[in-house]
Amino acid sequence: MLHSSTVENYLKAIYAGVATLPRGQRLVPMGQLASAVGVAPGTATTMVKTLAESGLVEYEPYAGVALTAAGQKLAALVLRRHRLIELFLVRMMGYAWDEVHDEAEQLEHAVSERLIDRIDEMLGRPETDPHGDPIPNAEGLVKQQDSQTLLTCPLDRIVIVTRVIDQDREFLRFIEQHHLKPGEAIEVEARDTAADSVRVRGRNDQRITIGTRAASKLLVHVAHGLLLLLLACPAFAQTAPSQARQTQRTSLSGYMDFHYNNPEFADATLDFHRFVLLVTHSFSDRIRFVGELELEHALVEGLEEKGELELEQAYVDFLFTRGFNVRAGMMLMPIGIINERHEPPVYYGVERPFIDTVIIPSTWFEAGAGVHGEVGRGWRYRAFVTAPLDASEFSADEGIREGRQQGANANVSSAAVTGRLEYVGVRGLTLGASAWSGRSGFQFRPRFNVPVSVAEGDARFSRRGLELRGQFAQVWIDNAGVLNDTLALRSGVNPNIARAMRGFSLEGGQRVISNPRLGEVGAFVRYENFDTQFRMPSGYVPLRQFDRDAWVIGANYWPDPDVAIKMDYSIVGNQSAIVRAPHSFNVGLGWWF
Amino acid sequence: MVVLMKTMLSAIGLIVGVCAMVATMASRVADAATQATQIVEITAERFSFTPSEIRVKAGTRVEIRLRSEDTAHGFRIKGTDIDVELAKRGRGVKIVTFEPQTGRYDFECSQLCGAGHEYMRGVIIAE
Repeated sequence: MLHSSTVENYLKAIYAGVATLPRGQRLVPMGQLASAVGVAPGTATTMVKTLAESGLVEYEPYAGVALTAAGQKLAALVLRRHRLIELFLVRMMGYAWDEVHDEAEQLEHAVSERLIDRIDEMLGRPETDPHGDPIPNAEGLVKQQDSQTLLTCPLDRIVIVTRVIDQDREFLRFIEQHHLKPGEAIEVEARDTAADSVRVRGRNDQRITIGTRAASKLLVHVAHGLLLLLLACPAFAQTAPSQARQTQRTSLSGYMDFHYNNPEFADATLDFHRFVLLVTHSFSDRIRFVGELELEHALVEGLEEKGELELEQAYVDFLFTRGFNVRAGMMLMPIGIINERHEPPVYYGVERPFIDTVIIPSTWFEAGAGVHGEVGRGWRYRAFVTAPLDASEFSADEGIREGRQQGANANVSSAAVTGRLEYVGVRGLTLGASAWSGRSGFQFRPRFNVPVSVAEGDARFSRRGLELRGQFAQVWIDNAGVLNDTLALRSGVNPNIARAMRGFSLEGGQRVISNPRLGEVGAFVRYENFDTQFRMPSGYVPLRQFDRDAWVIGANYWPDPDVAIKMDYSIVGNQSAIVRAPHSFNVGLGWWF
Repeated sequence: MVVLMKTMLSAIGLIVGVCAMVATMASRVADAATQATQIVEITAERFSFTPSEIRVKAGTRVEIRLRSEDTAHGFRIKGTDIDVELAKRGRGVKIVTFEPQTGRYDFECSQLCGAGHEYMRGVIIAE
């Protein structure tokens, strides 16, 4: 049965009035009720008689009014709506706790029980509202609180503020300003009856003296047992729920990538491609550690034909200002889109783009140190000095990829420098330019110089489900002719390494379905052109099978923004009339947590 | 005829006057609302906040509306109690209110969100 907002307000006022009555008295005087609902006593009496006829109240002329069982349940359900709405507005919509009461007064009469049940469920079936007032359950029953006021609680004992019973906005702001909100741990140090005041020790040992009237409106619960032990621990002491997140100093996350690959000319494979765990720790606001441990292809058993266990990141950041920070340790090279942003749900396609594999050797990480920061409205820079590439591992097929030293007793007889300038000042747009330069011939005796340079530019734009990407990268290897001759003498096979490698890719994707319950679906197409023998040293002829291009088309399904089920078909071509590049059908499951 | 023209001119003048008064009042109401709360919209995406440099008027109430374009991020303003979690893409906007005094307030992502998490930082400049 639906009741008008007037009926509900009367019942609520009687419900609240009963709580203020002296022990032994059960009827709320009509004058008190009329004052509470803001009408003349005669008007209140007329309404109460109507409520009595409906069986919601008991009315005794010249004595007062009380709720029947039915009226009490109805009043409790109105309070349940009011308090859940207040909590929803604070927790989910960012309202301040001093501005929700008036909104809830309006909404409590308008929302359905179904909506209230959903809100209750979404909030985790809370027991109290933002002010600490108990929330009746769906049956209208209220869990009894065992509370005292600041006037009656023990002195010099840690107590937890549980409820503020005055919802005047100015008073609530005063409570917030002095860190006396529900959840705060405080101590009453002294009560001065002559001055009608109470001295409280609050957060960070701050003392505040408040009047007894204000003190009577703060309900507290005496801390004991395990709670007292936790409050004594520095990590938990003086924490309200809103501060709890700041004390979490170590975080664990990770991502995984599971693939089915079915290439032409070979058998299909199931590959647990990546299992990555990230851990961060804040020593302080200014000193942070980040680590990333990756297991590739699931199994590490001696030889590299199996999997690889890699420490891809392990650095410490010294954060000075927004514009200047220092980093040292194992770091990702700031080259391209994928190398630093490779969580599976954030890109289309089962496998990473070819350009990010054979031209930019992602995941590219090295030991080193450098600086990074952001200035103005979205201009970012990173500049690192790291170990160089090892030219003795370069190849015609995979370019510089196998030359990564990966921080394993890395030779630093010469250092490489790398940097990236990035603009992120426009919503949805990222523009970047990266460079790397280093001498890579340190393995050879007699030693000779193999300078390597990498230049890269990229753009990424995303808005309303549309995502566009473009990337260009080129690698230069000086003295490539001498390098080939030297390696041929070592192994008996000339590796045919180029003096320039080049690649570019263009990609467009669009989320075509976006449903809060079912998830999102996006389709994409990518074109790539990459050649690891783009320019050859004098006297060498490029092998045409390394001049490749690829069309990759497919779709992602995100049942959750952090889980992606991917499918694509990769059509790879090359310029050779003899060697064919294999097409492949791929399915992937990737997730981040 | 002259009387009719005078009446018409008076009516037109009255209408223009009322319109001007209504427009002025509406403008003042809008100005008052704008001055009362400054609204800032921030988008979070691996690994940046946009905009990452925000200028506000010191002493005014700033309402920051935060939306993620991918995973769950955090939004923490250093030196304040503000530290909230942003829902994942498509799951709503987080709103926080803030009354800054003159100064610079650095903010950052407080929820580990990927390899470049440490780059997710910004500043609110209250002038």
